[in-house]
Amino acid sequence: MTEKIIEVKDLQKWFPIRRSISQFFKGEHNYVKAVDGISFSINRGEIFGLVGESGCGKTTTGKLIMKLLEPTEGTMFLNGEDVTHIEKDELKRYRRNVQMIFQDPYASMNPRFKIRDVMEEPLIIHKLGEDRDARMKMIEKALMEVKLNPPDEFLVRYPHMLSGGQRQRAATARTLLLNPELLVADEPVSMIDLSTRAEILHMMKEVQRDLGLTYLYITHDLSTARYFTDRIAVMYLGKIIEIGDPDDVIDNPVHPYTRALIAAVCEPVAGKVNKPKVVPIKGEIPSAANIPKGCRFHPRCPYAKEECWEKEEPQLQEIEDGHFHACRRWKEVVEEAGRG
Amino acid sequence: MTVSDFRRSASEFWREFRKVRSGVFGLIFLAIFICILIFEPLIVPYPEANEKWRDITYWQDLPSSAPPSWINLFTSKKRAVSESIEEYAFSETLAGAMRIQEYVFEYDYSASVAPSDVVFHASGVGKPTVVISIQRPDGLSIDLYRKQLEMSPTQDARVSIDRSAQTAAMNFGKKYSPSEGVQLQTIKTTDVLFSEAKQGIFRSPSPLVGIYKLKVTLLLQKAEEKIEDAFVTVAGRVHGILGTDNSKRDIWSGVIAGVKWAMLIGLLTALVSVSIGVVYGVISAYVGGWKDSLMQRIFEIFISVPMLPVLIVMSAVFKPNIWVMIGIMCIFYWVGPVKTVRSMGLQIKEETYIEASRALGASNTRIIFKHMVPLLIPYAFASMALNVPGAIVVEATISLLGLGDATIVTWGQILQAANSGGAMLSGMWWWVVPPGMAIAFMGMTFAFVGFAMDKILNPKLKTR
Repeated sequence: MTEKIIEVKDLQKWFPIRRSISQFFKGEHNYVKAVDGISFSINRGEIFGLVGESGCGKTTTGKLIMKLLEPTEGTMFLNGEDVTHIEKDELKRYRRNVQMIFQDPYASMNPRFKIRDVMEEPLIIHKLGEDRDARMKMIEKALMEVKLNPPDEFLVRYPHMLSGGQRQRAATARTLLLNPELLVADEPVSMIDLSTRAEILHMMKEVQRDLGLTYLYITHDLSTARYFTDRIAVMYLGKIIEIGDPDDVIDNPVHPYTRALIAAVCEPVAGKVNKPKVVPIKGEIPSAANIPKGCRFHPRCPYAKEECWEKEEPQLQEIEDGHFHACRRWKEVVEEAGRG
Repeated sequence: MTVSDFRRSASEFWREFRKVRSGVFGLIFLAIFICILIFEPLIVPYPEANEKWRDITYWQDLPSSAPPSWINLFTSKKRAVSESIEEYAFSETLAGAMRIQEYVFEYDYSASVAPSDVVFHASGVGKPTVVISIQRPDGLSIDLYRKQLEMSPTQDARVSIDRSAQTAAMNFGKKYSPSEGVQLQTIKTTDVLFSEAKQGIFRSPSPLVGIYKLKVTLLLQKAEEKIEDAFVTVAGRVHGILGTDNSKRDIWSGVIAGVKWAMLIGLLTALVSVSIGVVYGVISAYVGGWKDSLMQRIFEIFISVPMLPVLIVMSAVFKPNIWVMIGIMCIFYWVGPVKTVRSMGLQIKEETYIEASRALGASNTRIIFKHMVPLLIPYAFASMALNVPGAIVVEATISLLGLGDATIVTWGQILQAANSGGAMLSGMWWWVVPPGMAIAFMGMTFAFVGFAMDKILNPKLKTR
């Protein structure tokens, strides 16, 4: 039995938006439903991928798990302990266990701090290391872990003197200083040169193996997700619509949205130059303030039939071991897609 | 930040600063003011001006309402300059038990307008009788004064010829110009003493230049009586660098003594109020939500209360000293940078590194003071420099209304004295212009420095 490190149940984050005066008097509320009831769990030592296009709520999910945002509804458990609403000291303790790598390594470090100060910050906050020398030893060790060699050379530099890859390594090292169990990596390589991405992901994987970490890897990039993760969840408009083994989900997608997402991946294939790809999806992602009735994907779904918007929203269902999806007409979809 | 980093950013700042000419002028003025501050005791003739500004006896040997000495350069009628005569010829004769000491002071009078007073000073003990006479260049000798002095270690003898020899002067003049009808009260003693002995000596005197000998004879009856440190001061018709006011105070000393108060008031008010304002603005921006709204409403209350009337009323009721006044000014001045800082803070707080710091578990205090406030320090410095003139002018205003701190001397108080002393009506420009100019220069200094800093540190104003 694998141990669940974090489990979220029916997690919601609704952001209130401004109401008109008549709405105010009628008592109506408007919300942007960034995360609209998601449930999943991550096992210890696993890399869990959360995939979706921009605006689907995956970053919000990351921030909810990081507790940078308070959830509107739902519950969260860390190692079986309810951490949905915690404050002050508990929160501080929580943050030693759960850490985050941010998307933009150019922005996630104070440009006025040297790497040394950037790295020292978590140690000072959590009162780790007796004196400066002890802290410097810990920092050097962490920098070695992420392959920033030799550490001394980097300590005295400012973030802007580092390359994107080096910064992301430093950012990772900073989170490692606290010995977290779970690392939320919010698109850690999306701002990094393609040529360096694999290297960074490789480094992250190595660190994970060395230290027995668990990752929540948030990305819009299916190809790195497949390379990097043990399990992926596809999110659309605040809901998870498919979960499963990455190979399973990508090779045998069930939900039409997953299919569209896979079809949209660019591949530099010889002979395919200048040929526009056919993406089986129409229109833009709807506003999270106004989620369509029924299946939330139906306005863009090429397979949508009346039942999709007439009946209530479909729930996740299992088709094979560990592969869940939320499509009512999945049999027809798989058939039609198979035909052509 | 290590020392070398600081040096590098400072030199970068200086390179930019040099390009703003007004800023360089401001710095030069600032340097001058600081030099004045440091060397104050050396450049003023009356270093105790600050403490003794309202002490009449400290100033009593000076002429009253005298213009600056340098106006002699621009007039054909030279006026006598203030001086002190410490050299004398001394002789002592014995007449029985009595000792007769004779001091002869020589005064070389070469101006066209006679000095306003000649004062004999001596310290010692006893009750000697003093006889003062003057021998003029034309050979005439006038007995001026005869009286018994009372001297003790705490009380020095001081004989003002102008006051005590009025009758002698009238009698002398009457002898040579009998037809002129004058009254004792209207006679200016020194004018008579230093004029040619002829018709019209009272109304249209012509100066008699040459060496005057002031003979002071002291009759000491007892053996323990003694006289020390005898000297004579001549209070001129012009005095010092900036003249005197109608209470005989040296205006130059007062203006220079005012530098330190102006600096103190300006800088302290600016430092305290800007610090409070910056921290308040950052906190308001950072906490957000209803707390931000509440803090902004409180800010609006403070910004909409007019400072000057409140300050005037408070000063009139409580007669505050300078520190209380600085405190009150801070209460009103801290609002200055709040709005700008809040808007900058709103921007900074959205930076990812703030969120990253929060994710690391940083407390709000740490985020505000370690990550947000340092970014605002350049702005705060510029804002401080721009706040200095305001504070100085406000203090001057309060003082001009006669509500200032009575234990110090500020430019506003000099102006207030000038106003109530009728300096404007009697054309005593040297009483009004210097403190006014000093206020203007001090304000200009900090405004120039502030504008230059603002230009460099405020990216929106950068023009290239």
